[in-house]
Parts: sequence; C-alpha cells; structure tokens
Amino acid sequence: MRLSYLLPGLGRWGRAALALGGLAVLPGCDFNFWRMDGHQTTMVAAGPVAKAQLDVFYVTCWVTLVIFILVGAVLAYATFKFKARSDADEHAEPPEQSHGNPLIELGLIGASIFALVLIAIPTLKGIWYTYEPPAEQKENIYEVTATGYQWWFKFEYPKEQIDGVGPLVTGNELVIPAGRPVVIQLRTVDVIHSFWVPKLAGKVDMIPNRGNHLWLQADEPGYFWGQCAEYCGDSHAVMRFRVIALSEKDFADWVAGQKQTARTVAAQTASAEGAKVQFASFKRNEYGYTDKWAADAQVSPLDNWKQQQFPAKDENPALIAQGRKLFNEKTCTGCHTVRGHEGIGITGPDLTHIGARTTIAGGLLENNHDQMARWLAHPDVVKPGNKMYVTGYVPNNIKLTDADVSALVAYLESLK
Amino acid sequence: MDASVKSHFTGHEAPAPTKASVFWRPTAKTGLMSWLTTVDHKKIGFLYGIFALFFFLVGGIEALLIRLQLALPNNDVLTAQQYNTMFTMHGTTMIFLAVMPLSAAFFNYIMPLQIGARDVAFPRLNAFSLWTFVAGAIIINLGWFMQDGPPDGSWVGYAPLTSKTFNPDHSIDMWVMGLQLLGVASIAASLNFIVTIINLRAPGMTMMRVPVFTWMTLVTAFLIVLSFPAITIALVEVMMDRLFGTNFFEVSNGGMPVLWQHLFWVFGHPEVYILILPAMGIVSEILPTFARKPLFGYPIVVFSGACIGFLGFAVWSHHMFTTGMGTVATAAFSLATMAIAVPTGVKIFNWIGTLWGGHLMMRTPMMFALGFVWMFMMGGFSGVMHAAAPADAQQQDSYFVIAHFHYVLIGGSIFALLAGLHYWFPLMFGRKVSEFWGKLSFWVIFAGFNITFFPMHFLGLNGMPRRTFTYDANLGWNTANFIATIGAFILGLGILIYFIVMTYTYFKGEKVKKDYWDGRTLEWSIPNPPPEYNFAVTPTVHARDAWWYEKHHQEEVAKEKAEHAKEDAAHGGIHMPFQSVYPLVTSIGILIGAIGVSVIDHGHKLPVALTGAAIMLAGIYLWAMEGNEGYHIHADEEDSHK
Repeated sequence: MRLSYLLPGLGRWGRAALALGGLAVLPGCDFNFWRMDGHQTTMVAAGPVAKAQLDVFYVTCWVTLVIFILVGAVLAYATFKFKARSDADEHAEPPEQSHGNPLIELGLIGASIFALVLIAIPTLKGIWYTYEPPAEQKENIYEVTATGYQWWFKFEYPKEQIDGVGPLVTGNELVIPAGRPVVIQLRTVDVIHSFWVPKLAGKVDMIPNRGNHLWLQADEPGYFWGQCAEYCGDSHAVMRFRVIALSEKDFADWVAGQKQTARTVAAQTASAEGAKVQFASFKRNEYGYTDKWAADAQVSPLDNWKQQQFPAKDENPALIAQGRKLFNEKTCTGCHTVRGHEGIGITGPDLTHIGARTTIAGGLLENNHDQMARWLAHPDVVKPGNKMYVTGYVPNNIKLTDADVSALVAYLESLK
Repeated sequence: MDASVKSHFTGHEAPAPTKASVFWRPTAKTGLMSWLTTVDHKKIGFLYGIFALFFFLVGGIEALLIRLQLALPNNDVLTAQQYNTMFTMHGTTMIFLAVMPLSAAFFNYIMPLQIGARDVAFPRLNAFSLWTFVAGAIIINLGWFMQDGPPDGSWVGYAPLTSKTFNPDHSIDMWVMGLQLLGVASIAASLNFIVTIINLRAPGMTMMRVPVFTWMTLVTAFLIVLSFPAITIALVEVMMDRLFGTNFFEVSNGGMPVLWQHLFWVFGHPEVYILILPAMGIVSEILPTFARKPLFGYPIVVFSGACIGFLGFAVWSHHMFTTGMGTVATAAFSLATMAIAVPTGVKIFNWIGTLWGGHLMMRTPMMFALGFVWMFMMGGFSGVMHAAAPADAQQQDSYFVIAHFHYVLIGGSIFALLAGLHYWFPLMFGRKVSEFWGKLSFWVIFAGFNITFFPMHFLGLNGMPRRTFTYDANLGWNTANFIATIGAFILGLGILIYFIVMTYTYFKGEKVKKDYWDGRTLEWSIPNPPPEYNFAVTPTVHARDAWWYEKHHQEEVAKEKAEHAKEDAAHGGIHMPFQSVYPLVTSIGILIGAIGVSVIDHGHKLPVALTGAAIMLAGIYLWAMEGNEGYHIHADEEDSHK
C-alpha cells in the first residue's frame, strides 16, 4: 500500500519528517523488554509446573503464529491485488457478484479444527499434570499452608510443629525445600487473593469459603519473586512476597532456627539515652526494594538472603531493650507474635524472626534500618489502607516519636 | 406498522389530540422538547450516539490518567485509591456507557432502515430505554461529585471486596444500582429490536435476506435478553447484602463469594460478544460495499454469528481458570472456548473471501474495517492462548490479558464502530467526511493503538499483574510501560483528530447526494438525511442486497412502488406515532428511586425511593392510558407538515 495514496497531501518531506520523528524516540529507550527475563517472568521456568505451562504456551504461540502468517499473507495479498488503482477503476463495471464457495468454507473449517486439536491435546495433558504432583512423587511431597490477608501472606508449616504452640508460622517469605514437590493449601481471611510465583507456577486464587491448593517445585535452590494477582483492595499492587528454595540440609537448618523462640540480646552497659538514629527520608510511593546488594557485593539474591540470617555486628543492646519495651507499650503485641517475647497477636505477620527476612511490609521494602523506620513511621503512606495504620475505617492513632522508631527498628532488626 | 393503524385514522387529516390535558402529546419538531419527547428511532439513535461518545471521551481520559501513572516505576500521579477508582470507572464506562450504547445507536438508527421499516416496533419503549440508560450513567458517575468518590471495586466487582465490610461507603451502591438501570434499559431496547426485526421487515425480506448487521443486531439482542438476568440476580444479591444484611456473599455467615464470579461471568462472557458482534456486523456491511461485491458466504457468516452467540453461554468459566475448579471443569471450559475459535475464524475467512476478486475502494471506512480484521485476528489468537488453561494460569490477571482484550475491544469493537460512523455519516447527516483527515485519523489511531497495547503482551509474560497502581523498577517493566504510555497519548491524539473532523463535517462538511458509497442495502435507498418516515413507499425486497438489486432492476421496482403508494394512500398515508413525555417521566422516576436506594444515607432512603417509585408508576400508568395514537404524513406533500 503506497503511503502517498494513504496520506495524500502530506508530501514527501512531510512523510520523511514523520518517519524521522518516530526514530528520534527510539535511542532513549532500552529495548530489553523483548527478552522478558525479569525477576517475575513467566518465560523462564524454574520448576516442572511452570515448565509445563510454558510448554503449552509455546504450542499455542507457534500454532497461532503459523495461522496468522498464512491468513495474514492471504489478506495482505487480497488487499493489494484487488485494490482499485484509479478513479476509473472504482467506477468501472462492478466485479462478478459471486456469493461464496461451500467447499472452501468446509476446507477452512476442517483446517481450523485440526489446528485446535493440536493445541487441545497438550492443553488437556497440562491441566491434569499441573493439578496434582505425579503419583510417584507422592511420598516426597512437602506441605505448606498459605493464607492471604489484606495485604500480606502468612505461611504455615503443618509438618513443623513447635511444642505447645502449634505449627511454625512465618510471613511474606515462603521458604521451601528445593527438588521436592510442594503442595500449598490456599486460604484467605478476608477478600480474594491470588498466589503467583511466575517462575515456579501459574496462579491459583485464595477464595473465602473455598479450599484451593496448588503445587510447585523449585528444581534448584533459588530466590523467587511473587505477587498477589487478584485485585484485593487499596494496596493490591504492593502485596508481594518471595519464595526461597533451599537445599535439603539448608532447609532443615532453617526450620530448626525458626522453631527457636525470638532472639534476646543480653543487656549490656551501652545506654539508650539520646540514641536517635538518623534515617533516610522517602517520597510517597518511592521504590523500596533496590537490588542494591547485587550492585554492591555481586551476590546472588539467595546469598543475600543467607547473609540476612546472621545478626548485625553493630547492635545496641540498650536500644534493643527499649524497643522491646515500646513494642509492648505501643500495642504492637496486640496484632503481632514474637514467640518467646511479649507479642501474642495473630492478625498481623509473625515477627519472631523478622530480622532474618530480606523484605518487610509484604515483600515491598528491603529489610534495612531505613526502610523499617519508613514503614513504622508512615505505614499509611507505604501501604495505603493497611491495618497497622487503620482498623476498619478508624485510624489507630499510634503515635511514635523519632526516638521510638529508632528503638523499635533496633529491636525488630535484632530478631534474627 | 399496520397493526397500530386504527380504523379511525383512515381520514387524510391528522386528528388533533382531544383528550384530557394530562394526555397532551407534544408535537414540537425542533427544540429541546422535541428531543426529550422524541419517539423517532433516528433521533433516539443520535442521542445514544452523543451520550456514548461523551462517555467514550470520559473513559479515554481515565485511561490516559492510568497510563500517566504507569509511565514510570513508582510514579506518583495518582494515589492508590485514585488509581483503583480510575481503572474501575474506565472499565465500567467503556463497556457499559461507551461501546454498548454506541452499538445501540447503530441498532436504533440503521437497523430499521436496513429492513425497510418506518420505526422500531415500540417507539415509546425505545425512548424509555434511552432515558433509563442515561439515568444509569448518571448514577454510576455521581460518585465523582460526592465525598464517597466513584466505585473502586473493579469492573468485575468481585465479592467480597464489594461487601459492606470492605467497602462501607456508597460508591459500590451506586455502581450496583447504575448497572441495574443499564440492564433495564438494555433489556427493554433488546426486546424492542427483536420484535422489530421479526415483525417489521419489508415484504419479501426473508430472514436469509436480512443484512448481516441486522442479523447481528438480532443475535446481540437475544444475548442481552438472556445474559442480563444473570447479572441482575447477582447485583440484587449484592444490594441485599449491603442494604438488608443478607448473606449471599457474606463469608462470616457462610456466603459464597465464588458464586458472584459464576453469575457475573455467565453475563460477562456473552457481554463480550454483545460488544463484538455488532462490530462484526458493521464490518460485514462495509467490506462488501467497498469491494463492490456481495459478502462471501452470507449464510455461513450469519450462522457463525449465531453460533458464537450460542457458544458464548457455555464458556464463562474460562474467566475463572484460576479459581480452582478442578480438572474436568477446567478441561471442559477450555475445549468449549477453543471451539469458539472456529466460527470466529470462519468470519475472518469470509471477509477475506469478500475482498477476493473485488474492486476495493480504499476509503476511510474500508481502512478502519481492514484495520479491524487485522487487529481482531491478533486479539483472537491471544484469545486462543488463554483458552489453553495451563498457559492461562500464567496469563490470567496479567497485562497479557489487558493486551488481549484491548485488541478485541479497541482493535475490534471501537475500530468497527468508528468505521460505521464514517460509513453511515453521509446517510445520517448528508455530508461527507474528508478522506485526507479521515485517513490521517485512522493511521494515528492505528499506530497509537499498537504502540500502546503490543508491548503489553510482553509486560504480561514478564509477570506484571493488572490493576496495580505501581511497580518497582527492577522487574524489567519500565521500557514497555513507558512506550505504552506514549502510545496511549498518540491514540488519544488520533481519537481527538477523528472527533474534531466529525464535528467539523457535521456543521461544515461537503453535502452529498443519496447513496454516497454506492451501497447495497436498503438504508441507502432513501434521501439523506432520512425523512422522519424513512421510506416514502415501503420497499419490496427481491434479493439479499436489496438496494443493489433495485438499482439494477429499476423498471420492475418502480411498478411495485406505485402499487405500494396506492395502498398507503388507501389507509390515509404514512402513519407516524405521536411523541410522548411519559417514557422520560418514567425514567426520571427510576432515577430518583435509584438515587434513594444507593446515594441517600440510611434513614432517609425510604421517602426518596418511594417518591421515585411513585413517579415511575405514574409515568407507566399515564403512558399506558395515553394510547398508541399517531398521525399521517403524505410523502409527496410532506413539507406542509414540517
């Protein structure tokens, strides 16, 4: 189709300017999006379930691409071939008034059905495969329960019972053994959420009054990004989480560590008086997870997670002790559990080992002093509508001074 | 029309209304009153179009705000709540207040002309549909002017997020009531269209001679009548939960939120075809006209349209592949969804067959129609990818889905509706749109649309979930989002050019004679703009492309017309219905009642709601009592009646 015909009157220079204008936009952009290799991509499968789903996608992709090229070529050919080239052509005798051809129609319907069968067979296989782990793996299954809250995830380990307490509970970072199928029971306490770790498996919804499950498996140890995939209210976009897959031994160590009660830092002589730490300030909706560790130390996300398990060297025991006191005074204990310390609440995430997580605020912020202070000081700005700031529609009115925040941050970061 | 001609109307003079003043029938032909009380399908169609285009622009602005917010990672243009409001209103507005009424505008304006009728079967009911639609649109948008704000439950309004527990203010009530009113309007209009198409076709127009657009109107009308009851039930349940404390979706009392999804999608999937079938009908009119040959495989195109409508009721759960339906249900809905690709593909093949061997006139409507075929193909193929449930587990609620349905709804529905507007513009207003500006707007829209939505396929596969007001910069989504935002503004520019050109043409465009495009169907046989009685003489139909046949058999047709004219004269000329105020009164009553139920605070609801109900009942009563009277027009001396 000649451009001059489609845009009469623009002239050669006008068209050239148009094309140049289009090109001028390009250099500023980084076209990496074609690669689709982000942390949360569906195009890199790290386990058999995601792999099966990706395989089905490729089948649909190739079959439809071939059809698109064939049909598109015919359509383009027909458009060019039969286009009226001049005014006289348009007003010539009308072409033959033909009404169709049943044989062509039937042939094309047959071809369409054949193409769909090509897609349907792997689809059916995939539906059954992704629903439950293979029978020969039944012995090997590890079970976890994930529960959606507005706007964070709770993870329970029914196989890891703690004497006198119940199952091991953690939040926002799901640690699983690599190389084993993991069946995740999906529950919710409020609205519908959806559990999605793209590199491991497609999503399944957490629906009230409905017991859903999914299974996934990480072939190798790794650190995976996940996010709620069903609109669940104000802060749906910042309801994120991580999945950390560990080797069998690391996983056993981690479970043993998690079963311990919260770490207590022995009070020493250092004083908490005047210990007002300066924290960075943040704009509303500023980036909270920077990948800075990767640039700084050239470590993998998984190694970064492993480093997070060890206590910091520059702890201030007095400040921590004061934080622990404030945690009780400011009623944090009403919603959060710190096993072995004062907290007993269950409506918020279990904080027994929060210092050992790489993220806080539901996978949104990097777990460091600055972000922890930001989260404690301005929960409503970080996560609009969240229950640390507001219960129902009534603000909680928890007032924290800068010194309070410093102490609380020191306490929470000490809970490795 | 014959059924409504009573014996006492056989006199040649239009009898002056002589009843009590409450039954006063307005007769103004111009001015505000003529529009408010009109029963003329063309005026009603025009009003539907104007309202739809207004809301199309509103929805477009909402979309641009969404794109602005997502242009950069961690952007701060909108707050989370504002963003959630924006995508909720964008979806609701575009589907219910823009595309559906724009289709309804064409149903109203074009369908009666295509079947050689002088109006729809129930002209006053038609006016009622229009005003009730306006009432629904007002209710849905009232939140912008209130403290509670517009709804933010997303256009699918999944329970229990819409329950009083999680959304205590009035915004959801307004959304619920607004949709109910739109349902009433749509069902009333659809029944009207069904009766019209079945009963008012010109002599000789058998069902297999009905133009494809009218066929698709019929299928769409049946889809509306059959699917809206499902959402009506769902909305009533939400309303009862919110107003009267029932427990349909109240989890703590054993409610089942997943029930909402089933009811919603039993409506929602046919709704998708309610949006696309009229578009397919329009394209099936435009391609033959500009190829100057009949539609390839007319019976199969019609049958596949009906087939899509029928299958459309059997695939709703493909919107719910991730709700854990189990293997068998997932497989069944997966296969049923794939089956729909067959009749849809058939349509594409037949459109290409129509082009084959034609003399293609590359005018603006043809460009939009060809653009539709290409873009709809792309949307169709990503649709097949969703049909494969395991792949869909990754795509569901990601930007891949956003890309898919915008290819179907913009590249599909909107392209076809813009094509239709261009195509029928000379008929409706007797003026032609500039080819240069028309084509320019097409290319800008086409480019902007693809720049916006093509990158979204990659975003979705790269793991970006939909309905998220923000995203982090380390996930590889930055470039695609930025490009999409640029594209959205190009698309907006294209739409702007399009409407400026249309507005200019409406006032200043070059006047044209009738049958500007050398059309094939009956609407082109009448003068433009069409007289209020449409056809001076009811045409007789001898072939599928009735007007094309007439143009090539002029003597035969002239003889028939003379006979029909005699028949008309024998019963007093062309019978036209009086205008009426009561459809408007009834709709105003409904509007007040709906405001009472949804906007007014608890405690004051009842008086307002009952006032509205009283006005509505009075309107219906007076409407019934004023009778379906009319007057007569003589086409040859019509000037004296103007």
